[in-house]
Amino acid sequence: MGLELPVFYVFAAVAVAASALVIGQRSPIYSVMLLIVSFAALAGLYILLDAPFVAVIQIIIYAGAILVLFLFVVMLLNAPKEASGPRPRLAPGPRRAGVVLAAVFAGELVWAVWRTAMAHEPVTAGVPARAVESVHRIGQVLYTDYAFPFEVTSLLIIVAMVGAVVLAKRHV
Amino acid sequence: MPSLTVIVQLGLVVAVFVMLMLSSAVMVYAERKVAAFIQQREGPNRVGPKGLFQPFADVIKLMFKEELRPGGADTVLFLLAPVISATAAFAAFAVVPFGAATTFFGLLPEPIKLQVADVNVAVLVVFAITSMSVYGIVLAGWSSNSKYSLLGGLRSASQMISYELSYGLALASVLVIANSLSLTDIVNHQSGYWLGFIPKWFVVVQPVGFLIFMISGVAETNRAPFDFPEAEQELVAGYHTEYSSMAFAMFFLAEYINMVTVSAVATDLFLGGWHGPFLPESLGWIWFLVKISALLFFYIWMRWTLPRYRYDQLMQFGWKILLPLAVLNLLVTAAGVILLGA
Amino acid sequence: MVTLEHYLTLSAILFAIGTTGVFLRRNVITVLLSIEIMLNAANLSLVAFGRYWGAVDGQIIVFFVVTVAAAEAAVGLALVIALFRLRESLDPDAFTSLRW
Repeated sequence: MGLELPVFYVFAAVAVAASALVIGQRSPIYSVMLLIVSFAALAGLYILLDAPFVAVIQIIIYAGAILVLFLFVVMLLNAPKEASGPRPRLAPGPRRAGVVLAAVFAGELVWAVWRTAMAHEPVTAGVPARAVESVHRIGQVLYTDYAFPFEVTSLLIIVAMVGAVVLAKRHV
Repeated sequence: MPSLTVIVQLGLVVAVFVMLMLSSAVMVYAERKVAAFIQQREGPNRVGPKGLFQPFADVIKLMFKEELRPGGADTVLFLLAPVISATAAFAAFAVVPFGAATTFFGLLPEPIKLQVADVNVAVLVVFAITSMSVYGIVLAGWSSNSKYSLLGGLRSASQMISYELSYGLALASVLVIANSLSLTDIVNHQSGYWLGFIPKWFVVVQPVGFLIFMISGVAETNRAPFDFPEAEQELVAGYHTEYSSMAFAMFFLAEYINMVTVSAVATDLFLGGWHGPFLPESLGWIWFLVKISALLFFYIWMRWTLPRYRYDQLMQFGWKILLPLAVLNLLVTAAGVILLGA
Repeated sequence: MVTLEHYLTLSAILFAIGTTGVFLRRNVITVLLSIEIMLNAANLSLVAFGRYWGAVDGQIIVFFVVTVAAAEAAVGLALVIALFRLRESLDPDAFTSLRW
């Protein structure tokens, strides 16, 4: 189990670096590709967390479907690189306030994580992996305790489908 | 002695890799010979006896060709695209089991599984990796900076995404019966016979599922009659119009290996994997090879027999016929499993 | 050993990156991608907490998040296409007028 920490750091570094580059450069097509790398790293972390099913779902749905949709739109619109000129700036007052609020928020997050005692315990020690990795168990809970939310998502998907068709149609 | 097992495991990885490479060589030869036979020609017959070395001659020719790069192409993505295609094709085979655990006639202290990696969500892993191969095609189409490539890439991407749904649902109906996500479990579920002579293959209980799976598989691998991305008459060569030399060879390799993988998964899911009469369990991989070859022959046969569909017909068929059929099949299967308590 | 803190910190970093992207980028598609990063950061904490407590509920909520993300991407990208047709631009600052 000595390998767990280095593996975590590798995946975490890849995820952070790729995500930073997604927003750090101007070509949309590269952003999409880098986001795939980031999601693949997250899938690796899910496997480390004994959730192989979520990891595979992450790849199939996120990388295999949602991001293909993004890539499609980027190609369809032949999306240009973002303009690099100076953007309209906010007034200095609100900008300073924004910086202060962001710093406070970051500090708050760090403090919350540090303060919590359970955050310092190893994440995989308490419960055996069997408890979370079984697809049978996930299915059971999903179709009993979460049956209502599950049905609601199907409604959500229908609404999204109709909405997307209506919005993207040329002549309504 | 764990070290020996590790060495054998590594050997298995290399063996599978080489086997996949060789299988694509065999497929190149078989495709040309079968095509020739169907069209009453001789086919390749110059290189080696009966033209057997033709694939190697092809590879050597491709290696010595000039590597062309169209002006205005996005260099990084242009080079990355064939790599993604080939990697996805090879990686998908990693979780496919192709034989029962064996000790190689007692040579090994403990039996090893004839499978590179045994994952308990293997079916979904295959699905996930094949869904990645669409990126190779889309990026190839986009980065070539050519309208034929772009149209080919867009078409094949939308085709793959559309048919992935039916593919997944056909797969799900098998999972419902087998009650497992592990390919090894699914294959072992299919051993034995009904009434003494009907093999317990899932194709018997899931004929519709098998049909949907194979049709979607053909569409997923962009083979005729669904090979729009490469429709010569309208798009030159689709997404790989601008590719030459080894980059082109990698796309070619990926196409053939994808065919092998789809056939192998179909064999594991529907045709009983390595189970078959007359041969002992330890020689089951021979049955596996026979079944795969039959499916691959079917692929080639279809290519040289059926004319290409029109693109809009393909999308109509996928969304309006195949997908509802797959949903219905899954519902009926699930109801059957509940009612019969199988 | 990897502690819960590791995962939560990583999640916070990713969330911050996503937020920065939403505020800084001037391309609607990249803004949508940044939102995906934020959703994934949340997913990571959910799975990590679920693992810690030994419950599958975290993973199930991740499935719901993924569904919502898919719906959001479909509608969002349809909007992007419609807006691009009107303005020939992907810059969110081009869509500030309430009517045209």
